[in-house]
Parts: sequence; structure tokens; C-alpha cells
Amino acid sequence: MKNRITRFLITSAAAISVLCLVVFSFLAYYMNKQSGDTITAVGTIYMTGMNDRISMHFRTTIEMRLTQVEELVEEYPPEGSGRDGQGLAYGAKARGFNHLASCSGDGRFEMFFGSPVKVTDPEPFLQSIQNNEKKIAVGTDEDGNHLILMAVPAGYDMSDGQKSKALVAGLSVDYIKDILSLDENNTLVYSHIIRKDGSFVIRSAGAFRDTYFHRIRELFTEMGADDAERCVKELQSAMEENRDYSSILELGTERRHLYCAKLPYSEWYLVTVMPYGTLDATVGQLNDQWGYMVAGSCGVVLAALLLVFLRYFGLNKQQLAALEDARKEAVAANKAKSEFLSNMSHDIRTPMNAIVGMTAIASANLEDGERVRNCLRKITMSSKHLLGLINDVLDMSKIESGKMTLNMEQVSLREVMDSIVNIVQPQVKAKNQQFEVQIYDIAAENVYCDSVRLNQVLLNLLSNAIKFTPDGGLIIIAMYQEESPLGDGYVRNHIIVEDTGIGMSETFRKRVFESFVREDNARVNKTEGTGLGMAITKYIVDAMKGSIEVTSQQGKGTRFHVTLEMEKADVEEVDMILPDWNMLVVDDDQLLCESTVASLLDIGIKAEWTQDGESALELVRQRRREHRDFQIILLDWKLPGIDGIETARRINKILNGDIPIILISAYDWNDIEKEAKEAGISGFISKPLFKSTLFYGLRQHMGWREKAKEEETQQAGALEGYRVLLAEDNELNWEIASELLSEEGLKLDWAEDGRACVDMFVRSQPGYYDAILMDIRMPVMNGYEAARAIRELDREDKDVPIIAMTADAFSEDIKKCLECGMNAHVAKPIDIKEVSRILMKYINMR
Amino acid sequence: MNLKECYEALGGDYEDVLGRLRTEKLVQKFVLKFLNDKSYELLCKSLETGDYEEAFRASHTIKGVCQNLSFTRLYESSHQLTEALRAGWSEEAAGLAERVKADYGRTAAAISEFQKGLEG
Repeated sequence: MKNRITRFLITSAAAISVLCLVVFSFLAYYMNKQSGDTITAVGTIYMTGMNDRISMHFRTTIEMRLTQVEELVEEYPPEGSGRDGQGLAYGAKARGFNHLASCSGDGRFEMFFGSPVKVTDPEPFLQSIQNNEKKIAVGTDEDGNHLILMAVPAGYDMSDGQKSKALVAGLSVDYIKDILSLDENNTLVYSHIIRKDGSFVIRSAGAFRDTYFHRIRELFTEMGADDAERCVKELQSAMEENRDYSSILELGTERRHLYCAKLPYSEWYLVTVMPYGTLDATVGQLNDQWGYMVAGSCGVVLAALLLVFLRYFGLNKQQLAALEDARKEAVAANKAKSEFLSNMSHDIRTPMNAIVGMTAIASANLEDGERVRNCLRKITMSSKHLLGLINDVLDMSKIESGKMTLNMEQVSLREVMDSIVNIVQPQVKAKNQQFEVQIYDIAAENVYCDSVRLNQVLLNLLSNAIKFTPDGGLIIIAMYQEESPLGDGYVRNHIIVEDTGIGMSETFRKRVFESFVREDNARVNKTEGTGLGMAITKYIVDAMKGSIEVTSQQGKGTRFHVTLEMEKADVEEVDMILPDWNMLVVDDDQLLCESTVASLLDIGIKAEWTQDGESALELVRQRRREHRDFQIILLDWKLPGIDGIETARRINKILNGDIPIILISAYDWNDIEKEAKEAGISGFISKPLFKSTLFYGLRQHMGWREKAKEEETQQAGALEGYRVLLAEDNELNWEIASELLSEEGLKLDWAEDGRACVDMFVRSQPGYYDAILMDIRMPVMNGYEAARAIRELDREDKDVPIIAMTADAFSEDIKKCLECGMNAHVAKPIDIKEVSRILMKYINMR
Repeated sequence: MNLKECYEALGGDYEDVLGRLRTEKLVQKFVLKFLNDKSYELLCKSLETGDYEEAFRASHTIKGVCQNLSFTRLYESSHQLTEALRAGWSEEAAGLAERVKADYGRTAAAISEFQKGLEG
């Protein structure tokens, strides 16, 4: 493809260049020839004009002179004053003649003045005088000076008594030469006057030969031309026929224009020669210029063409390269997507493992109700997370198109951390990794946040940390809060996930938040993953208007630091106060100890802390001696030196098992429970240690009853007497709902579709219904429309609480419900507690 | 055949439904009513006539009833059909519709048998 285009381009460029050259050459040649021809034509016209002018001038001059001679004859007639000849001589002198003579019919001259003259060629002269014609001729005087003789018929008395035939006046030839400018050297044009036989009558400078024909022949030989004879013959025949002759003599490189015309009153011919030299030179220059211009234009056009071709070629190459890039990109994207599909199972497998594992543990301990409950709780958490994940995978297209929305709700950070720790525990255990949870400086446990997304972020970070940390490595998740710059209503949360794993390269660190990216090296290829985790994480953190930073060193480990501003939830916190018992906290992490002691102080407990088992034992012994034993001891499982269980064993020896010892750990209680119980440990509190974790964890060991449970039972029957309109198209569903809700003391009316619901509501007394439960998918009019219709009614109770009940639990559906003016949404199947709670909430709100 | 066995036969979650409806009597009452529910007929009819919007709604209703009664198996297939029909008719929906019909058949058969046991 590429080669074909290249070849085509080169071929066409060459072809167009050749075409261009040919066209321009032709143009140059044609114009050259055309201008030569034009110049020749112009030259001919010019020559002819020149010759005409010269011969006209000659004629005028001669005629003037002849007229002067005639005037002499008239002034001094032969039968009058001309008789003595004195007057004639005077008149002739006055008119500038050098000689004056009368001439007889046989050619005898009798001088009036001047030296005697002789006609050079007397034959035609005499013939003309005898015919009484005016005539000019050349002659010589005694000194051999050449003369021009002018004869006018006149009968003067001759010495022999006869009458003369003509009066002849003589002038120096130089006069004619001057007149005709024949002798001018500075003119390019030179003329000769010749006779028919070619002999010169008057020759201009530089003509030395006897006849003009000789001169032509000589000249032709000199210039290396060879058709002298043809030229001479043509000239001769033209003279014979008394025609004007015009010809261009090609004398080698030089061209001359020759023009020959008959002169009047004589048998002479005027030959004018004009060299084309200057014209030719001018034309030549013109042609040269023209040639340069053509060559130049040709060059410019060619250069432009070449430029265009080169540019096109370049563009073409770029295009091909872009095409190739796009292809590669598409292939890579395709590969990434297919890898994604094959790898997707991993993220799903993580909570699935927890479910499977917990199910196995539960099945193995069916008789142990507490344990089974614990397992089920964890299974529930993992299932929830799994569902969230599957939703995320489905949401991936939304994330990529930037349409993801956050469901802000009240979240307990304690629950978030609990669930996340529970989910990752099995993985950490499987890889024998050390796991630390550090919680300190928590100002607000309850905040507004999208818990599913927050979970997702934490799980992504943690599962990556676990994934990329080799067996026996350390994984730390830390959370602390500080004041938010957004104000008192907010709190800034720092979440740090740190590991001692394989780390990442600098180049990869920059790309870690892109989709479908995993560092491409042998170590990582063994590890499974979707490659979406970090992209989702980044997107979520961005959507929460937070920031995420990563520092990493290859081979050393990675640290992710997420900072999120969260709005504090103003929950009425249960009054968390415990008796002011003395307590000992043992943990190797100083920060955790201090933070825990501070939290304990908040709930009324005075605590001391220490960092290892030995010093803990020492403290216990000391207190025993002082008879003020600790009333409860919190003991970390992993301690430097003797571990938590061993420490507990020894404490129990000292105190005879008098006080509860509670183990705190981020690890799964189930794994160590047996051993711990044997060591006399009475309970377990899972890290992270939030204030509420401590409160609820410690309360049971202090023999406190759960006040909350009592509150719950008190609530039964709280809905007694309220009237609710239930829109539900399916009779069976209606009956079930009716049965369940009637138990709670509610009075229910049934509308079988949205239209009926609206109608019934319209017909009712204002305030008759306390709430409406609305199915969404109904015939005639669906729940959305019905809700809208009710909200648009003109009634004082149009703001009646409308609660959607539907089997769809997609966030869009919930959103749509709220958009249509409904107050809340409960998912099917009907959970009577949930429905009661929500009804309670909205009925009480009015 | 008791109610629990009936639930096992139709692929339901007896514990779950008992947890929500509280008494076996109540569960039995609603299970028996399931046979009279018209949603399945509506689904079949609308699928035949090609009214997929109506089919979607019918399937949705079946799904809702199954959730209420914890008929897990029929819930799964009707749920998938509902989601498929949400986007309109497709090859996939056709396959799922067949599955719903099969699952409904098994569910209805189990309930009928249970009913016979009660009468007999």
C-alpha cells in the first residue's frame, strides 16, 4: 500500500516535471523564433523605409540641382544675357557649382568656368542629351577629382558656331556623399551608388573593390558564407528588370539587410546595407532574457510542484503512520478489553472467597450459634460488597462516559472500616501477611458519603496492596481526621494504605490511574486483576472532590494517601458513657494506644497503656500489690516478645481469671478463638477501634443490657391507626403487603393501578391518608406518573408522603422516583421493618 | 408433602419467607393464591401478541410476587427476563422467556401437588 503510493507519487512527479520542461522549452523555442521573425519583418520595413528615404533624398537633391541649372538657363537664355557666358559663370558660382560647361551633341565640352571635365561613362550621357533629357553623370576634372555632372538641355552657342545640346554643371562627388550621408562612419547604415554592372558610382568608406559584386563576393568569403553568386544574380536580375530589390544576407552569424533601388535621371542604383548586428544583439538579449525567464519560471513551477509533492508525500506518510497508530491503539484496546473480561473475575472473587470461606466455617460450626451468626454477618457484608462490585462492573461504561453519580448518605466510618477489614482478612491470612489497622484522631464517626464507593476505594487499595505484597509482608491501613478548611460542618479524612510490596516503576506510577493498566513485567503478570481498580478509585475520589497521591519505590513498597472532605452527619449519638473503670490497653503501636486511651476517656473510662506483654504483666503485678486491679484489659494479639494470648494466660495466672481480658486485633477472631478461649480471654474487639467500637465492644463485658433493643420493641405498634393508600396492580402482592402492614396496625386501602390511586386520593377527605405506598410498574398509569399527578393536585395534602415500592434497586430508578416527587424508596420484597421505619419517619416529619 | 417440601420442590427459600410472613399459615395462604395470579397468563399472551412493553410489566410483576414469596428460582429467571425485556425484544429475551415458562411450570406443579396433598 505504502510502496504503491510512493511509486505513484514519484512517477507522477517525474512525469509532470518532464511535461513541464517540454512545454517550457517549446515555449522558449517558439517565442525565440517568433521574435526573430518579427525582428526580420520590422527590419525589412525599416530598411525599405530607410532606402526610400535615401533615394528620395537623392532625387530631391538632384532635382534641386537640376532645377538650379534650369534656372541658370532661364536667367541667362542662349539668345540673351547668356551669350557672353560671364553671367552664367557668375550664376553657377553663386549656386555653389564648381564647373559649368555647354556640351555638344557629340560630347564636346566648352567650359564657362572651372577646369575641363570628362564624363566617365559618356555613352548613356550623350544618348540622353541628344534626346533632350535631363541627366546626371559622373566625371573627372583634369586633376582626376570625381565630379557629379548635371545636364539640362539648352542651346548655347558653341565655339564652332553650333548650338550646344545641354548646359552641364559640375559638383564635387563629396557633395553627394555629404547629402546622402554616404560617408558617415558613425551610422550603421551605409549606402553605395552603383551601376548595372556593379561598378561604383559613389562608394562609401571601406568599399575598395572595383565593383559592388566583387565586394559582395569578397564579403561572403570573408564571413564564410557560400551563396554569394545567388545574391549577385538576384541583384543583377532585379536591376535588369528595374525592380527594387530587398534581401537578407546571411553572413555566417551576422545578418545584413540589402536594399537596392533605381535612382532617377541616371542608370544608377542605390544600394543600402544595414547590418542586423545591433538589432540581432537586442533581439538576442531579449531572447536570452526570455530564455532565462522561461527557465526561471520552469524552475519555480518545478520547485513548487516538487514542494507540493514532497508535502503531499509527507502528509501521506503521516496519515499512514496515524492509521497505523490507530490500528495499534485499537488492537491494544481490544486486547485490554479481552484481558479485562478474563481478569474481571478477580475482583469479584475477593468477596466471594470471604463468602465461601465463611460458609465453610459456619457449616463446620452449626451448633455454635454465636459463631454462625458471626459468619453470617461477614457473609452479608461480603455479599453486599460483591453486589456493589458487580454493579460497578456494569457501571464501568458510565464511569468511562463520566455519568457516574454518588449516592450521598449517612455513613458510619466504623462500619465501613469494619466491613473492609472483614473482607480482606481471609486474603491477608492466605498470604500470611501482617495486617495493621490504625485509627486515631477520629472527630466524627458519622459522615455523609457514598459508602459503596468509599468501600470500593478502600477495597481496591487494600486488595492491590495484598496482591502486590509477597507472603509475610506488611500491610497498613490508617485513618485519621483533621479539621477541614471547608468549615466546622466538615471534616478532612486521611486514609493511608501502605504496603511493603513490590512497588512500581516511576513510569508506571504516572499511569497507575489509567484504565486497563497493569505494570507489564514478569512479576506482575502472575498477579490477577482487572486493571480497572485504580481507574475506578481515581474516578471515585475525584467525584468525591478528594485527592489521591501515590508514592512508591520499586522493591520497597507503595503508599496511597487519600484525602477526602466529608460533611459531618449530625446524628444524635447514643449517650456513650460507661462506668469509670480502670483499664489497661496493650498494643505495640503507640499512636493506637494514645488514640484508644483518648477515646476511652470520652466514654468515661480511665485507661493506661503499654506497648508490650512484659511491661503489661509488670503493671498488672504492681496494681495487684497496690490492691487496685485493672477492671478490664484490652490486649493486642500481635505483640513483640510474648504475644497477646501468652500474656493473657500469664495475667490470668496472676489475677486468677478475675477480670475480663479482651483481645483486639485486625485478624479474624475465628482463627484464634479456640486458642484464645483456652487462654482465658473472654472477648474480642475487632480493629479498627472507633469510639463506638469500644463502647459496644466493652459494654457486653460490663454486663450492660442493650438499651437499643428495648427501644426497638417499644416501637412495635407505633403505626397503629394510620391510614395508608397502597397502589399495587398484583392482587397477590397486595394481599401480602396488606397482611404484613395490618399486623403493624395500619389501615390499608387498595388501588389496583396508578390511575385508581390518583382517583382515590382525589376523592378522599384532605388528610384522610397519612401516606401512599406506590408500586412503579402498573398498567394504565405507572407509579412515576401517579406520583407526579398527585404532586400537581390542588390540595392541601398533596405533599402526602409517597413511598415507592419496587423490585428495581438500581440507583437510576431510585433517582427517578425522587425526581417524580416521591419521598423515599423501598425495595421489594417487603421488609416490614424497613417499611415501618420509613413510614414512621415520613409520617412523623409532617 | 408439607409446605417446606413444596418450597424445596419449587426452588424457593422457605426460611426467608417464613422470616418475613411470620406464620406458616400465612405463607400457605399466599402460596396457594399464587396459582390464581393472572400475571403469568398476561406474560404468555403479550409475548404471543408481541406486546413487549406489556410483557415487561407482566414479567416484572411475576418477579415482584416471587420476591414476596421467596420463589428464588422463578425469581431469578423472571428477573433476568425483566432486565432483558427492559431493552426490548431480543434473542436473549426469547431464551429467557422459555426459561421462565419452564420454571413457572415447575413452580406451579409443585404448588398443585402441595394443594392436592392438603385436599387429599
